[in-house]
This record gives sequence, C-alpha cells and structure tokens, in this order.
Amino acid sequence: MIPLATPDIDEQLDLSAAPLEPWEVVVWNDPVNLMSYVVRVFRTYFGYSLERATMLMRQVHHDGQAIVATGPRETMEVHAQAMHDYGLWATVRKASR
Amino acid sequence: MTDLTVRVRMARVEGAQLVHLVDDFRELVGANRDVEDPAIGRLIPDPYPEDEDSSRAFRDATRDDLLDRRALDADIVRTALAGMRGDLGDMPRDEAFAEHDLDIPLSDVDAWMRTLTALRLVIAERLGIQNDDDHDPDDPRYGVYDWLGYRLELTVEAADRLL
Repeated sequence: MIPLATPDIDEQLDLSAAPLEPWEVVVWNDPVNLMSYVVRVFRTYFGYSLERATMLMRQVHHDGQAIVATGPRETMEVHAQAMHDYGLWATVRKASR
Repeated sequence: MTDLTVRVRMARVEGAQLVHLVDDFRELVGANRDVEDPAIGRLIPDPYPEDEDSSRAFRDATRDDLLDRRALDADIVRTALAGMRGDLGDMPRDEAFAEHDLDIPLSDVDAWMRTLTALRLVIAERLGIQNDDDHDPDDPRYGVYDWLGYRLELTVEAADRLL
C-alpha cells in the first residue's frame, strides 16, 4: 500500500505541552433533582446505558457525588456546562486524586 | 423521525399556574437580570469550588450564555402554553379542571425539563431547601415546588417511553 503522506521524522513533538493529565466531571447530590431526571440526563447526554446511568445516579444520591466523565480539561468543562444547563450541580477537577 | 411528540396532560388551572411561574422566571433570567440574585446563582453552579481564578474565568465566559439559554428554554415552554391561557375567573369549575393534552415535539422536551427543573431550583433557593428533609407543609410554596416535581416526573416518564 502506498502511504498517502510521508511522516516527517524530523518533526519534534513537545509532549510536555500536551494536556495528558486527565480531568473529571463530578455531579453532586442536590435534593431538587429527581432521580428519574438525573438518569435521563446521563442517558441522553452522555449516551450511557440505563444500567450505568442508574448506577451513577445512585452513587450521587447515596455517596453525595459521582464521577460522570473523565478526559481533557476543555471537554470536561463543556460537559460541566451541559450539566448546568440541565440544572445539575457539576464541578470539574483533576482526576489524579 | 422528527414528528415524534411527548404528550403531557394538564388541567387549565395547572396551565395557568405554569404560565405564571414561567413568566416570573423569564423576568428573572431576562435582559434586566440581577446576577447578584441568589436564585440566579443557583442556576449557575460553581464549577471550581476550590480554585477561585478558574471559577471566575469559567463563569465570566459562560454565565450570560447559560442564562440566555434558560430564557430561550422558558420561551419555548411559554409558547406551547399560549393556548392554555384563559380567564379562569369566568370559567366554570369543571372546565377549569378539565384536562388538556399538550403535544410537545421531541426536540422541545429538553427545554421543558430544563425549565421545570430551573423553576424548582429557584423556588428551592427562595425556600432555603438544602437537603431531602426540608419541607414545611404550611408553606404553599412547597406545594408549588412539589407540583413542579410531579409535572417533571410525568414529562420524564413520557419522554423515556421514546428512548
């Protein structure tokens, strides 16, 4: 197979600048939010299965918080804002805890 | 499929109640909003409670857009309720309590659920609801708060049938 592009082996990637450290979105318990609604938001926004969404909702309800997503900081901020749109109490933090 | 709808049933008195709440809410998050209002604060949670600088940067960048989206959601609900309005004072009781079907396009269902939730958040902030046990049966605002929860529950149930 003929390569479409020849990799430039001289190119140096500065890996120290890459945001490799994962961040996470945490959803906190809020008495205002209905359980069925929280499950629906996790299913429809993140695309989680009913089982996973329910498990996360229970974690929020019983433990007071649950990590609902992990990844690059910018992506986690987008998710947190979406959670805020749905009226859920979400925060962003470094995953290394 | 774009013509899927979620049917919610509500009495005319309920519709009138919701119109009233949504209009107040549009005032709260509208063009003349007071961002110092604690109820507004409840709608824009702090994403970085342990990092003041990140928190301020994030909120400065996103707060207005987020509140604009709450206003847009509320407008969608308000438009759908336009036909529910009526002069309840002149209306026979059985007509006021007769149930009406409201068919919400699937694409508007999130706006409905977000608005019902936002209305509950605002009332919760006004009432100082902090945990699951906060309740005062003598305060009618709790009745409104619970009724909004019931309306939301019905909407989620109906919408989940389409998942």
